[in-house]
Amino acid sequence: MLGRCAARALGALRGLREGAPPARSPGPSRRLLSSEKVSEKDHSLPKPCWSKDMRLLFDQFMKKCEDGSWIHLPSYEDIATQRSQDFSTFIHAYFPTASEQINKEKLSQGRIFTRSFEDGLGFEYVMFYNDAEKRIVCVFQGGPHLQGMPGFFHGGAIATMIDATVGMNAIVSGGIVMTANLNINFKRPIPLCSIVLINSQLDKIEGRKLLVSCNVQSVDEKILYTEATSLFIKLNPEKEFHIKELVLNSAPPA
Amino acid sequence: MMRRGFQAAATLSRLRALPGAPRILPILNPAAAFGSSIDSRISRFCPKKTDFKDYALPNASWCPDMLSLYQEFLEKTKTDGWIKLPSFASNREHIQGLKLPTGLAVTPDNSDCRIITRSLQVEGQGYEHAIFFNPSEKKSVCLFQPGPYLEGAPGFAHGGSLATMTDETFSKTAYLAGEGLFTLSLSIRFKNLIPVGSLAVLNVSVDKIEDQKLYMSCITQTRDQKTVYAKSSGVFLQLQLEQE
Repeated sequence: MLGRCAARALGALRGLREGAPPARSPGPSRRLLSSEKVSEKDHSLPKPCWSKDMRLLFDQFMKKCEDGSWIHLPSYEDIATQRSQDFSTFIHAYFPTASEQINKEKLSQGRIFTRSFEDGLGFEYVMFYNDAEKRIVCVFQGGPHLQGMPGFFHGGAIATMIDATVGMNAIVSGGIVMTANLNINFKRPIPLCSIVLINSQLDKIEGRKLLVSCNVQSVDEKILYTEATSLFIKLNPEKEFHIKELVLNSAPPA
Repeated sequence: MMRRGFQAAATLSRLRALPGAPRILPILNPAAAFGSSIDSRISRFCPKKTDFKDYALPNASWCPDMLSLYQEFLEKTKTDGWIKLPSFASNREHIQGLKLPTGLAVTPDNSDCRIITRSLQVEGQGYEHAIFFNPSEKKSVCLFQPGPYLEGAPGFAHGGSLATMTDETFSKTAYLAGEGLFTLSLSIRFKNLIPVGSLAVLNVSVDKIEDQKLYMSCITQTRDQKTVYAKSSGVFLQLQLEQE
């Protein structure tokens, strides 16, 4: 998990600070080879495919955001802001050999994996961040295209959501980071198309290392499905992009 | 909804059903060998004739590296005891005539469901992959080319997509090698980013089978083995599928 999420958050937050509605962000759209228009939809706002339970949870957390202790994090499928060029340049400078292998034509067709599905078929989720406690709660409603064993989510789908959540936790505190280790213990298989809460917590920062742990629970918190620990590495401590300040400054005034 | 976890499943398998106790999970008789043989699992998994579409076949999106390595392994299926695994839209299609043990088959059959690794259907967009399995060595090789819809950092595959491909390769290996059905744990150490559209080779081996669990390890690297992308390990729970 690298700066992609940060770019998304930055794009939306710039929009918020400049008074634009959160769903759209300013800046040039990426050119696509296909005729498809770049979608600037914020996928972390309610949509028709969200179940009633998901909406209820969204409303509960939005209430918690009113006093500024929690922040709702926006989520786009593509990076459509000027800032994204900085991230792209940085990452490609950091991995020059790998960067050479990238098909530049194909580059503009990219989509972040967790937003690559049609509405309701894949990952539907919204994240809320609490800065004082350094934790994120992600409300996740997975769709029928995330199946592993019949009737259950694929282990990889859960791993992806865990990586996305702990990754965002690491990014807010550490800037541009890369997943180094991911250790997941599956306690119970999760029924397909159910809603779960992914709770992630920043445990420690040791120099360039960030340790984040998380668990996956049922909405009523009675069933523990999964536990995970992760290690992230800051790629370049100097280039922090002041993400934390941006995230905190986006909270609506009390 | 499962009320007990995997640890309970493993423990229950060593006890007889207690009178009055709700029978939520399958009781396995450890004295009997597991229900099916490796050969019967392989022949059910790789049907000679089927209407289901096999997605693990070359297409226009495959890079030259992937095509040539695929051909290399195809040759090995003729001489060295390797088997090319078909890849259908859902695991249900792979276990025709069988179902999950009573108590676990919770969701009604839904034709909408697809396995995550075959969810993005436009060629080249998602998980282009093919898995080869060697029954006698209990090893697998997965040829994986991540598409642009699997991105994390611009131009590179999302860590979650590699976690998914790794779990999937472990899963197919665990099932064929020893009736492994569910992931108990997955541990990945990421070393380098995989450029979108390039070939990553996952080498999986079964290290041991004990206590109703399969222990596997995997190394993901470039074809020439000069760049290691990740090292992983996985533990799967053995459970028998039941006749439908």
